[in-house]
Amino acid sequence: MITKYHRPKTFNKAVSLLSDKSLNAVALVGGTFIKNYSDKPVTVVDLQDLGLDVVEVVNQEVEAGSMVTMQKLRESDAGNNALRRAIMLEAGKNVRNTMTLAGHLASCDGRSPLTTALLALDVSMTWQPGNIRVQLGDHLPVRSHKSPGLFISGLSWKHDIWLAFEYVARSPLDRPIVCVALAQWPSGRTRLALGGYGNAPIIAFDGPEPAGIEYAAKDALYDADDEWASAEYRQDVAVTLARRCLDRIQVSQTAEGEM
Amino acid sequence: MKITLNINQIEIKIKVNPGDRLLDTLRDLGYLGVKSGGCVRGECGACTVLLDGKSVNSCMLLAAQAEGHLIETIEAQGQHPDQGWKKTTGLDPIQQAFIETGAIQCGYCTPAMVLAAEALLRDNPKPSEEEVRDALSGVLCRCTGYVKPVQAILRAGALLRGETVPAIGEKPQVSEEWLPEFRDETRLPDKEDDKVLILSGILPRLITTPESKGMHTVGHPETKVDAMKLVQGKPAFTADITKPDMLIAKVLYSPVAHANIKRIDVSKARALPGVAAVLTWEDIPRVVYSTAGQSDPIPGPLDTFSLDKKVRFAGDRVALVAAETAEIAEHAIQLIEVEYDELPVIIDPRDAMKEDAAQIHDEPEYVNFAASDASKNLAAEIRIDIGDVDKGFKEADRIFEEEYVVPKVQLAHIEPHVVITYWDSDDRLIIRTSTQVPFHVRRIIAPVIGLPVKRIRVIKPRIGGAFGGKQEVLIEDVAAHLTIATGRPVLYEMTREEEFIASRSRHPMRIKLKTGVKNDGTITANEMICLSDTGAYGCHALTVAGNTGHKSMALYVGDGKYRQSPNIRFHADAVYTNTPPSGAYRGYGVPQGAWAVERQMEAIVLEMGFDPIDFRLKNTLRPGELHPFSTAWSEGREPKPEVVNTIGLEDCVAQGKAAIDWESKRGNQSWHEIPGKPFLKRGIGLALVMQGTSIPHLDMGGASIKLNDDGTFNLLVGATDLGTGSDTVLGQMAAEVLGVPLEDMIVYSSDTDLTPFDKGAYASSTTYISGAAVTKAANKVAERIKLRAARMFSEREIRIVAEEIKLVNRSAVTLAGQAISIEEIAMDALHHTDQEQIMAVASHVSPVSPPPFAAQFAEVTVDIETGQVTVDKLIMAVDAGVIINPVTASGQVEGGMVQALGYAVCEEMVYDANGKARETDFLDYHIFRADEMPEMKTIFVETFEPSHPFGVKSVSEIPIDGVAPAVGNAILDACGVSLKEIPAVPEKIWCGLKKTNINRGLCENFR
Repeated sequence: MITKYHRPKTFNKAVSLLSDKSLNAVALVGGTFIKNYSDKPVTVVDLQDLGLDVVEVVNQEVEAGSMVTMQKLRESDAGNNALRRAIMLEAGKNVRNTMTLAGHLASCDGRSPLTTALLALDVSMTWQPGNIRVQLGDHLPVRSHKSPGLFISGLSWKHDIWLAFEYVARSPLDRPIVCVALAQWPSGRTRLALGGYGNAPIIAFDGPEPAGIEYAAKDALYDADDEWASAEYRQDVAVTLARRCLDRIQVSQTAEGEM
Repeated sequence: MKITLNINQIEIKIKVNPGDRLLDTLRDLGYLGVKSGGCVRGECGACTVLLDGKSVNSCMLLAAQAEGHLIETIEAQGQHPDQGWKKTTGLDPIQQAFIETGAIQCGYCTPAMVLAAEALLRDNPKPSEEEVRDALSGVLCRCTGYVKPVQAILRAGALLRGETVPAIGEKPQVSEEWLPEFRDETRLPDKEDDKVLILSGILPRLITTPESKGMHTVGHPETKVDAMKLVQGKPAFTADITKPDMLIAKVLYSPVAHANIKRIDVSKARALPGVAAVLTWEDIPRVVYSTAGQSDPIPGPLDTFSLDKKVRFAGDRVALVAAETAEIAEHAIQLIEVEYDELPVIIDPRDAMKEDAAQIHDEPEYVNFAASDASKNLAAEIRIDIGDVDKGFKEADRIFEEEYVVPKVQLAHIEPHVVITYWDSDDRLIIRTSTQVPFHVRRIIAPVIGLPVKRIRVIKPRIGGAFGGKQEVLIEDVAAHLTIATGRPVLYEMTREEEFIASRSRHPMRIKLKTGVKNDGTITANEMICLSDTGAYGCHALTVAGNTGHKSMALYVGDGKYRQSPNIRFHADAVYTNTPPSGAYRGYGVPQGAWAVERQMEAIVLEMGFDPIDFRLKNTLRPGELHPFSTAWSEGREPKPEVVNTIGLEDCVAQGKAAIDWESKRGNQSWHEIPGKPFLKRGIGLALVMQGTSIPHLDMGGASIKLNDDGTFNLLVGATDLGTGSDTVLGQMAAEVLGVPLEDMIVYSSDTDLTPFDKGAYASSTTYISGAAVTKAANKVAERIKLRAARMFSEREIRIVAEEIKLVNRSAVTLAGQAISIEEIAMDALHHTDQEQIMAVASHVSPVSPPPFAAQFAEVTVDIETGQVTVDKLIMAVDAGVIINPVTASGQVEGGMVQALGYAVCEEMVYDANGKARETDFLDYHIFRADEMPEMKTIFVETFEPSHPFGVKSVSEIPIDGVAPAVGNAILDACGVSLKEIPAVPEKIWCGLKKTNINRGLCENFR
């Protein structure tokens, strides 16, 4: 149960509190729910006063504080249409107004559209203390048992990346059964993330050009069988959606549309 | 810890625990407009507040997190303008618009919606409809379908911008953007000279009957009588009160689906400081009963105990705890040690009656009803054969046979089940509960808790949605046992997870249909064999299954000689399984049957090349014909023949066809294609449905009316308004008879000590049954008023008999126009001459159950590569008799269609082999959000039902019957996939597509 609440004003204080093993402290970052802790006393360290709620584009790099809410990201210049679509799908407005990027990444599962999109963008996370940078794709598979630091202070990703997002769900805004995010860099680098299944979205493809993404999509979901859909279905649909994402990016590139 | 919260611009210093949620803190401080939907991930949004001007869920924030921010609640929005000598600025425009547009049904989520609108309109004074829907996307509403809330916010925006908006019901002078419905100017020719077509914005399209004209309040879009308090977030709901020393109850639910309790040790839980009581089956009387809130005798087996030594589903009760706080109660639950002796589990109903199946109910106290047989896991059995079905099949040219499957679904009312119990000063047990059936609660619970009926008083406050789920006497015994054990008030409120694992749901069914058809399109015989899964207990097992056949099979009687003597067979088995019990849910078995019957009709149409509408109408029931089931079955009681007098089905079809532009779309290949998107295909479909209106010879409603000094009236009804607006329409009927405006009717429902008996709100009966009781009582009061008025006129030298006096404009008026106000008459009666209290009580039972009818149309788009279905448009044309209030009635249709939409495409409750639920929250169990809705339209085609004084039939349940089959038929039209099972999830369509030519190439690429 939560027995103490702190709202530090500085990084150092936050680090100090979170490092104090006697406190059994956890960072309170604004997730999707208030965790029902066990009987053991827990101290929560609220990071809302650390100035981590800024999102901006600097030198073609999106820099988002970990306390930036989904809604703020959606309304910012940093979000493109595909990212906004993924955010819309993630939750209704109330939740988007409180759910921070760090809170979401700590609590989401494999059906998360936003995490799928961020994974395709090859988002880099900065952990404190020490400004440790870890790629989201490296962190997600091990996040339940390995943490690079005490808390996430920010995320960053390239802004000049083309991103497309497609999904299948039972209704227009239900959680996806399959979702696909495809990012393409000006260099041609193409990165395909798949969601809608498992504990976290996965990277299916990361290469210098898009050739092969359909096969990669199919292969990546060979065992994606659960109570919501069969692997066979997910494989088939992921291929279709990956192709549509690629088409969408190519159309945008041709039209010089927004990224 | 001490914190300072800025709530509605007032700084409040308080002491909180670091882990306290903002939701609980606000409610403890008396901000009771902040509601709880019992969820833990902010899915429902009922707890919305504004934090620094943004809508957020207060259940997801610690109170400490909110320090330093401005918190705004509904209490700051506006208030009643007239508070005696104190006048206020009144409601704000958003609240006013919510009232005027009929955006409030149960009102539980209304404060949240108003606040979401406030946040939007501050930032964006001229929002688009899409932006309004986005603003509402964080607040789930199960009642309205979001149609009227969206219109309310657009209207409020216009008002705040200083624009002129037309009164409700008027045609617009300007503007298309803030009342989208106004853009629809599809004009239909009046079918008959005596019918009037009204087009309006908030109102549905309404085709009136001559009999419904000329009334001053009946038929008018009056605002709801409870709207003012609901829009202010007043403490109107069960949990909105607190009592000194009130304990919080929690229940230990079984984690296993079928087991005997070998050992249970509650010593650690009882020893926990702050725990007041822990009860197990060993501590309370063993009384068998049924939780089905129905009239006596309960038409089903008695198979339930408050607590038992055996658990029959994962979610069955094991122990009850009452403690000083919820946290202590939860901790105590965790300390209870239980050893289960697990038994074989039955999940698939097809396994229930196998010879080697485990017996779920082996308790000696089990009481059979009719053909139920616990030894076979059979909760109910129905065998109905009308006419000569086998002969009918022999006479057919073609026989169609198919099996259809429908899922278990949750009711998802946003207010969870909630009850407070306490002893009053007379040692009577007060049960304040969110129930549809207060009188049944009192009767059914009395033996369970060992009290006589006379020592129990049940109070029903406002109900935050119910849809049948609160027809169950589900949790009142939990709080009552704990109050008896402790002597203290007890609050028990289910969490959202508990709603999913431990409350009731719609019966899943497997339905085999066999239909004989002649080449000319005449149906010669129809047979339905139904396997219904009642779950672990048999509540409503018989009656729900019975209605599956009774309503859906009765619609198609055949033509020619078959019309005179239909051949219909309906056999049903309702079996026990180790899954959460099924129960009453809006539609009550009919949506299950309608899915099967209307999909079957479509299959016949396509196979035999008939026009889908002509074929259906050729075979449907017609006015003056006998309800074919009326001589065979009546909810487990003696059936009596009923003639169906009013059927507006043909008019419904005509209106619906025109509104959806059926002729230009159905069969038009170019319409089915979407340019530039070859993978998307459009489709259009329809379904015809019928429901019932009350249970004949059984359902009884009562009402009392009392005249006050100022000429107003107290109307007391035992009927329960679930948010449907029944208090309002009952008030309208009384006001019509008594010649006063609705505002002069003070409507109160319901309290077993104060209001007359009413069986409660179910079976689509309130407007019809309780409305007739109200009308009778009003007529008795009117008669007394007229007699006194005649005497008072005579004292003024005006000779007139009472029968010639009319009550209009708050007065008794002679043929010559002389008037005495009802207030004068009241003062005379109460104070001046031959004093008397003018009041009357009346009750009503109907010998018939006149069915409403409807034509449901749907348009869909199917992605033939992924199988995803998007429902684009739903239009329902309904014959519900005379519409007492077009705003509340259309609200019923809109909300019902959206629930049915979920049934069609996304809602289902799935269990693994051990009986563990897949869905335990609104993340996995998806109900539609405001920002993903199809376009919806409601049309009413009035008929005048002669068995009711105002000609009404029911409207509340029929909207849920036809959407799924209409969507299924539209999917078939779009892509050739003939679904037998709902919901129409993408993979099912995808699998169907693999079996058709339309997509074969694609599938083969990956096989």
